[in-house]
Amino acid sequence: MMMKKNIHLEINGEIKDLTVDVNRTLLEVLREDLNLTGTKKGCNQGECGACTVLLDGKPVSSCSLLAVKADGKSIFTVEGLAPEGQLHPIQQTFNEKGAIQCGFCTPGMILVTKQLLDSNPSPDEQEIKEAISGNICRCTGYVQIIDAIKALSDVTKK
Amino acid sequence: MHLPEFNYYEPHSLDEAVECLNEGQRGAVVAGGTDLVVALKQRLQKPGFLLSLDKIPSLKGIKSSNEFLSLGAMTTLEEIIKSSLIKERFPALSKAAREVGSPLLRNIATIGGNICLNSRCRFYNQSAFWRSANDLCYKAGGITCHVTKRKNYCASTFCADIPPVLLAYGAVVKLVGPQGERTIMLKDFYTGEGRFPNEIMAGSREILTEVTIPFPPAELKSTYYKFRLRDSIDFPLIGVAVAFEADEKGRCKGIRLVFTGVGSGPFEFRHAGEMLSGSELKEELVAQVAERAAGEIHPLKTDLISPRYKREVAKVIIKEAIMEAGGGR
Amino acid sequence: MKEYKIVGKGLPRVDGPAKATGKAGYTVDVHLPGMLYGKILRSPYPHARIISIDTGEAEKLPGVKGIVTGKELHNVRYAFVDTPRYPADEQPLAVDRVRYIGDEVAVVAAESEAIAEKAVELIKVEYEILPPVFKAEEAMKEGAPLIHDEQLEGTSSWEQWGVAQKKKSGEAKSGANNISGHSRVSYGDVEQGFKEADYIREDVFDLKATAHCPMEPHAAVANFDAVSGTLHVWLSTQGIFLKRFFLSKTLKIPTAKIRVHHTYVGGAFGGKIDLFPYEYCAAYLAMKIKRPVKIELDREEVFMTTRQRHPMTITVKTGLKKDGAILAQDIRVIADNGGYRGSGPVVVFLCHGFSYPIYNIPNYRYEGFSVYTNNPIRGPQRGHGAPQIRFSLDSHIDLIARDLGLDPVEMMLKNVRVQGDVLPNGDVLNSCGLSECIEGAARAIGWKEKRRQFSTAEGDGRYRRGVGISVCSMFSGAMYYPFASSAVVKLHDDGSATLFTGAQDIGQGSYTTLSQVLAEELGICLEDVHVVAGDTDLCPIDLGSFLSGTALVTGSAVKMAAADARRQVLEGAAELLGVDDINELDTREKKIFARKEPERYVTFQQAIQTGVLRKGNPVIGIGYYKGYDKTDRYPSLAKGKGLFTGAYGFAAQAAEVEVDTWTGKVRLVKAVTFHDCGYPLNKTIVEGQIHGCASMGAGQALSEEIYLQKGQLFNPSFLTYRLPISTDTPESVEGIVASLEPSGPFGAKEVGEGSVAGILGAIANAVHDATGVRIKSLPITPDKLLPALLEVLV
Repeated sequence: MMMKKNIHLEINGEIKDLTVDVNRTLLEVLREDLNLTGTKKGCNQGECGACTVLLDGKPVSSCSLLAVKADGKSIFTVEGLAPEGQLHPIQQTFNEKGAIQCGFCTPGMILVTKQLLDSNPSPDEQEIKEAISGNICRCTGYVQIIDAIKALSDVTKK
Repeated sequence: MHLPEFNYYEPHSLDEAVECLNEGQRGAVVAGGTDLVVALKQRLQKPGFLLSLDKIPSLKGIKSSNEFLSLGAMTTLEEIIKSSLIKERFPALSKAAREVGSPLLRNIATIGGNICLNSRCRFYNQSAFWRSANDLCYKAGGITCHVTKRKNYCASTFCADIPPVLLAYGAVVKLVGPQGERTIMLKDFYTGEGRFPNEIMAGSREILTEVTIPFPPAELKSTYYKFRLRDSIDFPLIGVAVAFEADEKGRCKGIRLVFTGVGSGPFEFRHAGEMLSGSELKEELVAQVAERAAGEIHPLKTDLISPRYKREVAKVIIKEAIMEAGGGR
Repeated sequence: MKEYKIVGKGLPRVDGPAKATGKAGYTVDVHLPGMLYGKILRSPYPHARIISIDTGEAEKLPGVKGIVTGKELHNVRYAFVDTPRYPADEQPLAVDRVRYIGDEVAVVAAESEAIAEKAVELIKVEYEILPPVFKAEEAMKEGAPLIHDEQLEGTSSWEQWGVAQKKKSGEAKSGANNISGHSRVSYGDVEQGFKEADYIREDVFDLKATAHCPMEPHAAVANFDAVSGTLHVWLSTQGIFLKRFFLSKTLKIPTAKIRVHHTYVGGAFGGKIDLFPYEYCAAYLAMKIKRPVKIELDREEVFMTTRQRHPMTITVKTGLKKDGAILAQDIRVIADNGGYRGSGPVVVFLCHGFSYPIYNIPNYRYEGFSVYTNNPIRGPQRGHGAPQIRFSLDSHIDLIARDLGLDPVEMMLKNVRVQGDVLPNGDVLNSCGLSECIEGAARAIGWKEKRRQFSTAEGDGRYRRGVGISVCSMFSGAMYYPFASSAVVKLHDDGSATLFTGAQDIGQGSYTTLSQVLAEELGICLEDVHVVAGDTDLCPIDLGSFLSGTALVTGSAVKMAAADARRQVLEGAAELLGVDDINELDTREKKIFARKEPERYVTFQQAIQTGVLRKGNPVIGIGYYKGYDKTDRYPSLAKGKGLFTGAYGFAAQAAEVEVDTWTGKVRLVKAVTFHDCGYPLNKTIVEGQIHGCASMGAGQALSEEIYLQKGQLFNPSFLTYRLPISTDTPESVEGIVASLEPSGPFGAKEVGEGSVAGILGAIANAVHDATGVRIKSLPITPDKLLPALLEVLV
């Protein structure tokens, strides 16, 4: 029998007590147990950023994080960004600027953007590029994603 | 690929952790786990249990005294980057931390994990399916190294970014195990062997708990140069840490050059001191050092870049790094 | 450019909110109650005979619900190309032989993916290793191991469409000398052309395989409803009707009994067209076990088994007059298509198809071979042949210009085709903004100021900059099953509309652009359009989102359907407004008004309600459009005869690079693309396509390479397959040339593929401009460039 452990998490502001197999990743638990499928599995090796979640406010790859290691921490996924039926300004701007194409990297990109703007409201282009440098997008060539984040940063500056 | 089965221990103290290590089965210590989780998915390791250091408070954080800076093994790379003390007094450490992997990785990956990072090879860091196409290589438990065709030998390359910097600063590490605690020079932690690149992998059943670096004199300048093809995600193709000390006239009093990405362990080029001692850092002289150092490294084709190329690039980054550390540019 | 209310505007994507919130459901997100998970056992050997397969241990594993091997499926054959000349050569699971590392051998369905993975490891296969061959040139030699010596007979996939003709007698047997496809085209008199030439140059170019890298891994979910006999599938695909057709053929169930359900597609780039074994196996297992089955490939499998771009060796010989006018050109292409035919015969045809729309060359000869090897299978990838041939041709043109002391831009302008040109196969360039593209790109990159070639040696520093330019072209749809696209526009009694389309939004924005076409034509707002797509039961047939046909072909169908609906609404409104001729009416923002008295209007709602109450007509508009109205079926791949496409998209791309001459690293400083897309249906989306293409092309020019050694793929990950990341992003400039294609909706044609191709030659030419070093093989990696630099620069 696979060893299990109880973990206590805050997910998108909600407290969850879960029992998980110790060999499952946070990504698997989010997608399979909690139906939070906005977090994507792109490579399952921590190399693409599609599975990005905020762990205690910091973006991490949930595919290479054991779920048990998230015990006692807060997790924020794309589903937590705006109330049902509404768009967060980041989501809105991403769409307006063409930063979304196939959409598979989008949840991760948006979460990284949130953390970037939370910690640095007016990043310059280099800082933007560095912040999203662990998140791969094959569709956009990053141009419109960078534009969107710039636009958001300009908004914050005002 | 899903993770294999294992038990998971999460001790709340170091003593408890050491007790876990005494279990009959072989286990693996997990810090951030960014490297280990992938290795487990690829079945590169099959530990009976994972021993998590998450809940041991003493392993976290950056402490400083008058003489030393101590970093708990569980200090994340992001915490290192954020530390203004480190940025000011150990700029090479700060820079190296900033260049590890990608930002997503640095929020989880720890200094302990980076020090203990396994060495890598294009034949080894592959899925279990991939490796089944060939006989297992020596590192994976077989006989022959596929890179060199040598038996009982492993050419895998050490490519952690932080250790060369720590070595240049003269760091020591604390290891705790059933036999007690010991503090050793970091350089002695590395075996230089590809298969088991450090003491713990070689089977010492210990936990690396802390790394301590003496505060360098104010005159010591240091930097880390990482060469990689993409400015994020990639491991270094080659990296070099430089610690340079000048006298009041700007002449070299002492210098340390430590490499990553060039062999099965961190490699220190020991002749830089004798070549530069007492001299100003003239470009020509530095170029000679770079030339000779590059001649002493022997990278093998463990990734997809030719060794010849690595040596050419080594010359460039050595020169750059020394000149920068020495304030030459 | 004419201003419209809705088309042409950079409106936000209609699927943006679903994607931004994580609500968009991709195939990997589909979960059905009672679902089993499949995993495939693959060959670790590049070429071997299967002696035996023992599934005993695996079957005993608790949770395993079914295991299938090739024996059970030995009658099943299919392929991307399936004609009498080129019979289908793929099977869902290898029967007795494996031909590349990754070839499917067995499939397991189990209660969890982890159990399926374990079971796969427990299957024992005994192989007899066969001699492999990995180089196309060697595979073509007499005495090389034959990879497909089996007797492949077949008529054609499309036989009931009347497409198939029996193989002509005397035609070489496919697979002889490992040749899987052959294309030969010539016009004019090449030898005479070379005789008349003042100058002749020949170059050989070499390109490696590259990967598509869609961020969503390939996946399939299948569920069989035994009561109705209907197979339900969710697939990550570019063409739902093509997949349905293949599944119907291979599973031997009627197309109407297969329903492909809608999912969002997380990127495709050509890699999600072919029928794949995992899709067939998911369906087969679901039918066999009577439970839903999901198979999701892991990233390594995606790299290894879902097709790659064809590596090629391309020889180009050109004869010119002193003034740079091209007299004759001879091109020879050898493409390695791996262990199965994949799209081999198509790509060697397309290299011609994307060569000759650009320069007007009176004497021309082209010959292409696709060749079996024991490498991974190659298939369509964005541009499908265009990157390889354009890189070669425009590197070659740049070299010629250097030799002749000409400016490549002027030389290109001298030779390029113009609007109204008729291509030798009969295709007419009814729109062609190639010259504007070249002029625009040259201007934007600062061609005159930045080009170093004829300036005196300046800047001996470490970093050197240079500029380069290249041009490219792409079809706007072509004839391939199901040969046409159609659309249905259903109006609701509140005046809003639902668009039913079989076109897939694979990220390129077709739901949005098609909605814009609908809204513009009908006279409603974009918010009033609801899209139903991706479902073979609900949606009318569509070519699918490849060959760049969606804007022109499906767009035309949508425009026609909207016009049909509009006419019906106008008829209702004419009655209410007391107007006899509906041509006197116009529509805007869900209102119908008399052109002459715009203040007199009725709403769509009123008109539709009137139609329903008087005639029972709820207003359903229908539209359809064939790839190309002057031809049926597809052209001859072997002879390049027949019409290819209704419209060609064109682009010119320029690059400014900075070469670190000490390390050989090339930084793309600026990428410029001027694309003639006919008309931009959505400006933001067109720009997004251009940037995405340029980035992918830049990656393939500088760092992307499927690294193979003895058929084994050494870099099946994003860590080792170096596709561009954010920090590689250059200053990106795009220019849209609106040549207004007469057959396209509002003048639109191709934009999503062509400009992946021009940036390759532009970068290689820029590297040459910067350093004087010519690299004729891609990618231009630092370890390739540095030794060359060391030889030249002292």
